[in-house]
Amino acid sequence: MTPVKSGYAVDVPTINVSERARREHASVWSTFRAFAVTLRRLFTSLVKGDMPTIYYPEQTRPYSERFRGTHILTVRNDGSLKCVACYMCATICPAECIYIEAGEHPNPEIEKFPTRFDIDMMRCIYCGFCVDACPEEAIIMSREHHQSVYNRSETIYNIEKLMARPGIDAKGPGYRPNRPMAEAKIFNKSEQQACPYPSVIEERHPAVLYESMIRRRG
Amino acid sequence: MPKVTINGQVYEAEKGRTIIQVTDDLGVQIPRYCYHPDIGIEGSCRMCLVEVKGAPKLMPACATPISDNMEVRTDTQRVHEAVRYAMEFLLLHHPIDCPVCDQSGECWLQDYYMAHAGHDSRYPLGQKTRRRKAFNLGPLVKLDQERCILCTRCVRFTRNVTKTNEIQVFNRAHKSEIGIFEDKPLNNAYSGNVVDVCPVGALTSADFRFKARVWFLMGTDSVCAGCSTGCNLRIDHSARAVGGAIPGYTATDGKIYRTVGRRNVEVNKSWLCDEGRLSFHTLERWPRLQHAAMGGEQRIVSDLLPAIHERFDTFRSDYGDGAVAALGSATNTSESLFLMKKYFKGRVDFRLGKEVELYQQQQDELLRRLDKHPNTHGALDLGLAGALNGLRGLRDLAERKEVRAMWISFHPQLVGDDGLEIFAELKRLVRALDFSVVSTTHDFQWARGASILLPMAAWAEEKGTYTNYSGRVQMTNRAVMPPGDAQPLHVLMAELLNLSGVQVSPDPAAIFRWLSREMPAYANLDYDAIGLVGAAVALAPEEVLR
Repeated sequence: MTPVKSGYAVDVPTINVSERARREHASVWSTFRAFAVTLRRLFTSLVKGDMPTIYYPEQTRPYSERFRGTHILTVRNDGSLKCVACYMCATICPAECIYIEAGEHPNPEIEKFPTRFDIDMMRCIYCGFCVDACPEEAIIMSREHHQSVYNRSETIYNIEKLMARPGIDAKGPGYRPNRPMAEAKIFNKSEQQACPYPSVIEERHPAVLYESMIRRRG
Repeated sequence: MPKVTINGQVYEAEKGRTIIQVTDDLGVQIPRYCYHPDIGIEGSCRMCLVEVKGAPKLMPACATPISDNMEVRTDTQRVHEAVRYAMEFLLLHHPIDCPVCDQSGECWLQDYYMAHAGHDSRYPLGQKTRRRKAFNLGPLVKLDQERCILCTRCVRFTRNVTKTNEIQVFNRAHKSEIGIFEDKPLNNAYSGNVVDVCPVGALTSADFRFKARVWFLMGTDSVCAGCSTGCNLRIDHSARAVGGAIPGYTATDGKIYRTVGRRNVEVNKSWLCDEGRLSFHTLERWPRLQHAAMGGEQRIVSDLLPAIHERFDTFRSDYGDGAVAALGSATNTSESLFLMKKYFKGRVDFRLGKEVELYQQQQDELLRRLDKHPNTHGALDLGLAGALNGLRGLRDLAERKEVRAMWISFHPQLVGDDGLEIFAELKRLVRALDFSVVSTTHDFQWARGASILLPMAAWAEEKGTYTNYSGRVQMTNRAVMPPGDAQPLHVLMAELLNLSGVQVSPDPAAIFRWLSREMPAYANLDYDAIGLVGAAVALAPEEVLR
């Protein structure tokens, strides 16, 4: 176990495997020692009630507050989507997994909102850059990480799925590095009566500005 | 010529020009908002202040004419500080809504803030003056008064260029704002240009608004194909597949998002008409023709071309050379029309309607011309307006069975209507022919009756040259890929020529060199020298015709 210096930037220990096996007395006695450990654990769990294992997935261990799970789109106090479709997340995303289409918000103070916001969770690398880049705290991460689906297309999360899904209610928010904004909160269906985000998109026909540009099919 | 010293370097400059015009030519950077070379001088933004020796105060470079032995410095601490304070003043009530602003990424406020200012605002965000947002000035332009810096470029554009005076400055001092009169919306034919001239995000295009962030776009310099004027423009299209690989969502071959005027003093200054600006939407208006078809059955283009050549050859040997002809269109590039002329031995015409009578007539006094085809002059230069007498004449010949087999290439005009009578004539022509090959961009009803239907690349999907009304050869470039199996017409024609034994490369540069060898008017043109601004043809087309 002497560190070798040559060829490496840091000290790298070398391990002599046969030497270690000799020192660890890999013989029949070690089998009995292993049984002793088992018996000791049996005693502590039965008598003391100290269980080292949990019934996953019914039970889970507590996750860090900074856990980077699947994303959440936060909402304003009135239940509408906080996102202003600025594309900062789509710009920073190294996996290019965020697809946004923007529309004209009825309120000119807000101006812009996403008519479509899709994240391809199969492409996502859960780096959390989108959360860092968001100027509105509209996208945060959750502590949910289960991705079992029956169909590949189900891994593309749309606005509804990103905003509210059972996993968010169960696990709560995760990585949220920005100063928590009072407006940005997680969608709660029981509080919400109206349509959660404006679904009416202003109809525009930009190409037809002039009579002369309206043409018939030839 | 007066001698001017700029930053210690001595230059000779034309008399009567202002400092900023001289420095722009020399490549010395002076920040500016209100100065634009094509709309007159205002001197309101105070960004272009420079130090002139002998003058007690800093002088605005845009409004100060040069004089002999003038010594100008643009890089001193005094100038830098003046620009910095001008920036702070302009940004005092700026809402800093860059994330939702469409200009963000190409905003002069952002650029000059990073280059010259870098200060923190003395006004907290909540106390800034609120003004009207998302205010419709007209069908194409939206105004955000909070972002406006009152440079009055748009006001001067409507005053000096279109002379319609829709946009004005209302109220005075701190309350002054850009606006329109209630009964007079900004709906002139050139309204989109105010979006281009606006250096900040105050004027945004209703067409492009919120469609894409500009840093996702890639610009390709090209020429408008809306009319025979041939305005220079930049096509902004998606640079990479949008949205990664989300199935069904990707635009793998690129998508045009907008077109922006490109400055060419000889042709269009900096302007585009609205019809031309939005003409790229024409390509999306009908379903595109994706695949080749023979008798309604989907076929591969490379398999069809030998069959086409064989059929044309049979008609030539059976009925003589006159039985085979071709009809191009003035929206095809000069290269493809030239190869067409070569393959069909000169029996080619391009006239669908009144292109030749109209191509030099102005629709208004600014840019637009009545002929909505970009390459009428080029087709005339090639001598294609011959005895075949256009579409109508060819239809007559076909009905009299003097022409039995034809290649018809049809590209719809990008601005306005093609005219129903043209479609009716084309339908009759296709019906009268024994063998017809139709190469079109879109899936037209009239073309379904053709023996062979080939998909063709449209404008912005092919590279080539157009010759505009005044005989200026300009380059149109490929911005996006053609859909499906579509190919540029010059590639199809080069393939046919190769089958007939003439070795020709499908490269447009090589075709143009061949063209310039054969055409006396194009003899002095170097393909590489056409470049961004184009080059003028020596001869007028009337002389070629005679």
